[in-house]
Amino acid sequence: MSTIYADNGYFAKRRKTREQDELYINPLPVRVWHWINALGFVLLILTGVQLRYMELFNAMSFEAAVKLHNWVGFAVIANYFVWLGYYLTSDRIKVYHPELDVRKFFERAWKQARYYGYGIFKGERSPHHVRPYDKFNPMQSISYQIIMLLVVPVQFATGLMMWDVKRFQQWIDVFGGIRVIDTIHVLIFIVFVFFILVHAYMGMLGKRPSTHFKEMFTGYEEPEDPQAD
Amino acid sequence: MVVWNKIAGSPTNKRSGRSMAACLLVLSALAGGLLCELPAAQAAGFAAVAARSTPEPDADSATAAAARKANKKCLACHSRPRFKALEDGEKLPLEVAAEDYNHSAHGGISCVSCHTAIANIRHPSKSTNISIASRRGFSLEMNGVCRDCHEEKYTQYKTSIHASLVAEGDDKAPVCTDCHSAHAVESMAVYEPVTGLPCKKCHADIYEAYSGSVHGLARKNGNVIRAAHIQAPICADCHTAHAVTALASNGHLRSTCTGCHDGVARKHDKWLPNAGLHLEVVACVACHAPASERRVDFELLSGAVKTAGKEGDTNLVQQRLLQLEGSGKSLDSAELWSLVRESKKRGQSTEVTLRGRLEVSSGPEAHRLASSMSAVRDCTSCHRAGAQPFQNVMISIRQPDGRDRHYKADKATLNSVESVESVGGFYALGGTRIKLLDHLLVFALIGGLAVPVGHFTAGRIIRKHRDKGDK
Repeated sequence: MSTIYADNGYFAKRRKTREQDELYINPLPVRVWHWINALGFVLLILTGVQLRYMELFNAMSFEAAVKLHNWVGFAVIANYFVWLGYYLTSDRIKVYHPELDVRKFFERAWKQARYYGYGIFKGERSPHHVRPYDKFNPMQSISYQIIMLLVVPVQFATGLMMWDVKRFQQWIDVFGGIRVIDTIHVLIFIVFVFFILVHAYMGMLGKRPSTHFKEMFTGYEEPEDPQAD
Repeated sequence: MVVWNKIAGSPTNKRSGRSMAACLLVLSALAGGLLCELPAAQAAGFAAVAARSTPEPDADSATAAAARKANKKCLACHSRPRFKALEDGEKLPLEVAAEDYNHSAHGGISCVSCHTAIANIRHPSKSTNISIASRRGFSLEMNGVCRDCHEEKYTQYKTSIHASLVAEGDDKAPVCTDCHSAHAVESMAVYEPVTGLPCKKCHADIYEAYSGSVHGLARKNGNVIRAAHIQAPICADCHTAHAVTALASNGHLRSTCTGCHDGVARKHDKWLPNAGLHLEVVACVACHAPASERRVDFELLSGAVKTAGKEGDTNLVQQRLLQLEGSGKSLDSAELWSLVRESKKRGQSTEVTLRGRLEVSSGPEAHRLASSMSAVRDCTSCHRAGAQPFQNVMISIRQPDGRDRHYKADKATLNSVESVESVGGFYALGGTRIKLLDHLLVFALIGGLAVPVGHFTAGRIIRKHRDKGDK
């Protein structure tokens, strides 16, 4: 395939651009959101651990950890609306459209799981081919739908309630008190600790360990190796 | 600090001086008025009635003069050492220091205005001898006499913890004369200096703690606070003189502190995250008496309106707590959860909830207030595992007399996942964290590392085998 684009003519250039468009998976707003979010999550986890385990760690004072946690929390909430605003105003929201055919979903999910658990070691190609309007494999799709539309908003809500307990006292009481709110917040924090470790590792499962990381900075998916098949 | 002018100059306190005087008069009557001769007593009785309707009972009025004249007849006998044998075998001194009485707030009131029992009988007379069971019994019997003139103060007293204790039969609980004396009734000014009297008579340990506090020291050193415009409070300024309530309950004392300390919320809000919550949940003294030992107190509330429970529902919980206390055990998280859940099953009207607060562990501790410069400001005094305040947990139930009855609860209650529902409203970040979540975090960390390591290792092994196969 690559030889087709080897000529220097006008059409070749156009074709090359079209191919690049096909590989432009993560537009600028998504990349900005992603890396701010990543930095925010790491800071929130670190300050959260400091707040919760003052007797074990002493990187900063409790007061400073509270302030930093609050500021970063608000930054991450604001950043969430960058993500939400972009997808609500872009046709790329299709990447988050759920697969409504349950049978089809499970078949594809199983193939993907089999790939990660076995096929990848044999050098097989991922059963899911990344495209601008279909960038998530079935496992990613269901995970990110739950995370972005349920887990993250719940984490924001519980964080806000704990930021100013008296202001949100009525809501806190509805859920059974501040201890309940904190328990939910910490449970989600634990899920995110696991998620970030696994997410970072899976980010290294590209052609090279740095491939997906580069892609998340440039926005362009690296062309698949035609020899992989 | 207290703006003393507001307190000392209040009409209430002026009246209280008079009310004390009346109380003393009653006691004097109780103790010594039984020997007046009938005609004199009757005359004095009329004078007394007139005196009660007079705004200034010690004024040099005609009625006061009449009373003083009548009292001379009583004091002719009662200024000498005399004793009356009581039924319990004790002797009641009948001597009244004439000088003290005449110069007291009640000096212009006749003896029989309080000692009404001898007003219409021949006195002294063996035939009309009045038997008295005991000194305490006599004081209790005569206590209501004060009400005749001091209705307002007496009503306030009846709502006090002192009156509740009296009603419960506590022999040491004070009646009017225990504080105001029976005959040497003085104005409030007498109690104003830092003598600690009369409170010190029963609350010596608390008064000692107060004396060393920022308030006590300021008072002792002449109250030179902010160019002497402000004076530090003494007992009654916070606790009130007559409607003395059970302390540390219902945020009573917090409102007392904020009554003088302006802008508390604003000052704390400048540096303290969730300042409003802290001010609600943490007693002022828990931070402002930095040397004090603190504890968590869960107040048992009942009903949809979350009022302090008194009937049925809390009684059931109280019965169980008493059983545990009897067997030397403390309430654990499972049992606490079970008690709260059971109450919910019985319906909304009997639902009990626990309102947690951080308090100091005793009355004297609550009075060791330090300068605001020394107040606890280190967040980790509470917000870390093993913090001192969480080593001692109590469940308190409001008793009908207004006091709180405390029961010991297991400190592990604060860190148990079983407490999420039962003490859902109380949580100190880090300090009362749920241990199960700590374990889950460790699992998540191990899992989050095991997945990459396991996947990577599996990949290496499979590739190795594949390469061998290819060869």
